[in-house]
Amino acid sequence: MRGNRQEGEFELVLDRWASAVPKADVSAETRTRIRNALSASLVPVKPIPSVNGLALILFLVFAIVAGVLITIGDKADVHFLTGSQLLAIAAILVAGGVLFSIVLAWRMVPGSRRWFSTPAALLLWMIGVAGGFVLLFPWRSSIGFVAEGWPCARMELMIAIPSAALFWLIARQGALFRDAALGATVVGLACSLALLVVQFPCRFPNMPHLLVWHGLVAAALISLGALIGSLRHPREHDERD
Amino acid sequence: MNEGPVDDSELRILMTNYQHADAAALDELVRRLSPRLLRYFSAFRPIRHEAEDLLQECWMRVHRSRHTYRSSEPVMPWVYGIARHTSLDAYRKHRRLEAHEVRVDTLPEPAGQATSPFAPDQPRLDSLIAGLPESQREVIVMLKVMGMSLEEVARSTSATIGAVKQKAHRAYRTLRLAWNREDNAR
Repeated sequence: MRGNRQEGEFELVLDRWASAVPKADVSAETRTRIRNALSASLVPVKPIPSVNGLALILFLVFAIVAGVLITIGDKADVHFLTGSQLLAIAAILVAGGVLFSIVLAWRMVPGSRRWFSTPAALLLWMIGVAGGFVLLFPWRSSIGFVAEGWPCARMELMIAIPSAALFWLIARQGALFRDAALGATVVGLACSLALLVVQFPCRFPNMPHLLVWHGLVAAALISLGALIGSLRHPREHDERD
Repeated sequence: MNEGPVDDSELRILMTNYQHADAAALDELVRRLSPRLLRYFSAFRPIRHEAEDLLQECWMRVHRSRHTYRSSEPVMPWVYGIARHTSLDAYRKHRRLEAHEVRVDTLPEPAGQATSPFAPDQPRLDSLIAGLPESQREVIVMLKVMGMSLEEVARSTSATIGAVKQKAHRAYRTLRLAWNREDNAR
């Protein structure tokens, strides 16, 4: 009872504080300065597609690039995977592609309505991928762990880095701001694509290999993406028009 | 408490015209939105010229990002989404520069009038609110000072409504506890 009264009293104190934050008049000189700065580059612009349209474009690029790379890539060792393993892990990674396409589309448009946060999407993706590797693939130790793993890691890097650059170029069509979550999202989308493609030529479908040489490499890349995203990027200084 | 309701349907038309390079629409948008934006920045940066610099920087970003606005969406969360990043970047820059600060003989002009006679607790609450984490402070400013709805705050801060409610709840609790502690200590 006393707590409720205190809460009510405090709410009033806060309302008084808010109403006392002074209304700020903008001088005519400031308004003129702003107008002059913007008028110089006032040209018609075409609105970008809706958030759903952007997510669809990103996912289509994801699907086309993955499809092309899988088609032209080496599939001689795909028989090391069972049909259910292949289907389940592909479904998880495609779901990751959909998830990150949506999150990246939200990030491209300020003021978008979001249904879940970027950290929640990243956590869900990591649990899905690691869970898939743990539940779908058997444990097997190997003396050639590093020698077997390095080619997969290298291939993953060779696919993920250019893909991240491609998704970054597409994302630049939106309004991007310095943000760790933006970098993590772009690289997360690229890593979903790379993991999907690398799964086909991989000759070592066992849990330790997949967790370390596929999953951990992706996690490291996403962390690097978050770090790069948190740094100032040149777009903050250029003029678009 | 806030500047009063903004007619979003009119703003949508102005934004669409602005995208078509209509200078009159730009003028009207600058006239209508600048006082609200300056008040928002003043809540974080009480020094007048700093708040005005943020306002100008925000308009540059709005201009560069105007192609990302869609007429089917509300204008204010889109604008505040950009304003928020302008403010956050300035905050980060300010933190970096704090280490190199020098003393000045005269204090700069504040963004508005000093303490209101109707809110004698303002300086005390100012310092308590300044002590909140940045993410909680911006939610309090948007909800209380700017009079935005939970939905608008969620859109502007790139968060879900649930996350905004949680941040607001935590901020209120922290402020109330600190307030009561100070009261009891007197």
